[in-house]
Amino acid sequence: MSGKAFLVVDDSATFRQLLCMSLARLDGIKESDITQAIDGQDALEKVREGQFDLILTDIRMPNMDGLEFVRRVRTELNQKDLPIIIISTKGSEEDIQLGMSMGANGYLSKPISMAKLRELVTGIIPE
Amino acid sequence: MAEKPEEILKLFSKSEELLEMFRKGRAFTEELMYENERLRYRSVQLEREKMDLSGTLVREIERIKMENAQLTQKVEFFNSRFEQIEAENKDFAQRYVEVEEQNESLANLYVASYRLHSTLDPSEVVMCINEILMNMIGSEEFGLFVVDEESNELLLAGYEGEIAARLERGRVSFGEGLEGIVAQTGEAFFTEGAGEHGEVCACIPLKIKERVVGVVAIYRLLKHKGGLSQLDHKLLELLAGHAATALVSSRLYAEKDRKLKTIEGFMSLLRVK
Repeated sequence: MSGKAFLVVDDSATFRQLLCMSLARLDGIKESDITQAIDGQDALEKVREGQFDLILTDIRMPNMDGLEFVRRVRTELNQKDLPIIIISTKGSEEDIQLGMSMGANGYLSKPISMAKLRELVTGIIPE
Repeated sequence: MAEKPEEILKLFSKSEELLEMFRKGRAFTEELMYENERLRYRSVQLEREKMDLSGTLVREIERIKMENAQLTQKVEFFNSRFEQIEAENKDFAQRYVEVEEQNESLANLYVASYRLHSTLDPSEVVMCINEILMNMIGSEEFGLFVVDEESNELLLAGYEGEIAARLERGRVSFGEGLEGIVAQTGEAFFTEGAGEHGEVCACIPLKIKERVVGVVAIYRLLKHKGGLSQLDHKLLELLAGHAATALVSSRLYAEKDRKLKTIEGFMSLLRVK
């Protein structure tokens, strides 16, 4: 996964730091490959400006939530093939279905486990 | 007695024939004897060859038996080595999982402690504790109480869920309710497992040495969490110490900063006069 660019979107600085650290433990990913955004609005601007291979986003965020962000990436920015993983405290079957119907490629419930994160990320971007 | 010469000649000729027959018989007998000798020699030779061959065969069988035994030993050795390596492999895989879990645990603890001590703003410290409780432990409903030393009560400083609505004035007296008892005794309280809707009861005192400066109470976990894991207990242990220090130091810093600004204000007023 060397040279791939990641975008981590979460309003919690603590969780962003944990997620960046966890991603950096996967083969070939450096912390410098990871960009952080504090909400959907910020993330949308960063997607407009740069190229990313994978986005990991929370749902519950101020200004623009994760579901709206995913919807706008798919429709407004027309980025249909950009892989997006939703990471949220909401973990019911309906929540997962809603997230996937918005165009997400994967769904993880908080708190995350390293094994599940690795499985999902390497499933989308092979090591 | 005189015989006729024809008869004598006939007799002579017969004796010649007889002699010739004897000569032939002798030559044949000699030939037979030679053949017999040759065959006997050949028989002895074959007997010797047979003996040699059977000796070689026995030796070869012995050699093959020995080789077979050696190979069987090798197979047994390789089988036991394979089993040993397979067991080692399983052990390594198990240890890898354990190390991975430990790494995960360390990463969580590192981030939690790093974040707690990264600010001197009391509201940011409270926010950080909330984030740890929500995102890292997976609490859906919780309360963060700080000790109000003037009134000797617990003051609700951060929360998620309905706890604020349940508490009158957002305060709990020492010794009242589970939070008050934990604050008074300084002993943590946990229930095993979580209810159908994530109901759990975990109450930990935030302590600096033996002094209780606050209490964290978790009432409900996220529905998909079965209960508090070992990592959650470690995080709560970390919170018990580090959150207490971060809360007190940030409050002291904010208080001193406010006093400093007041003094600076006075000083600038005096300078103007």
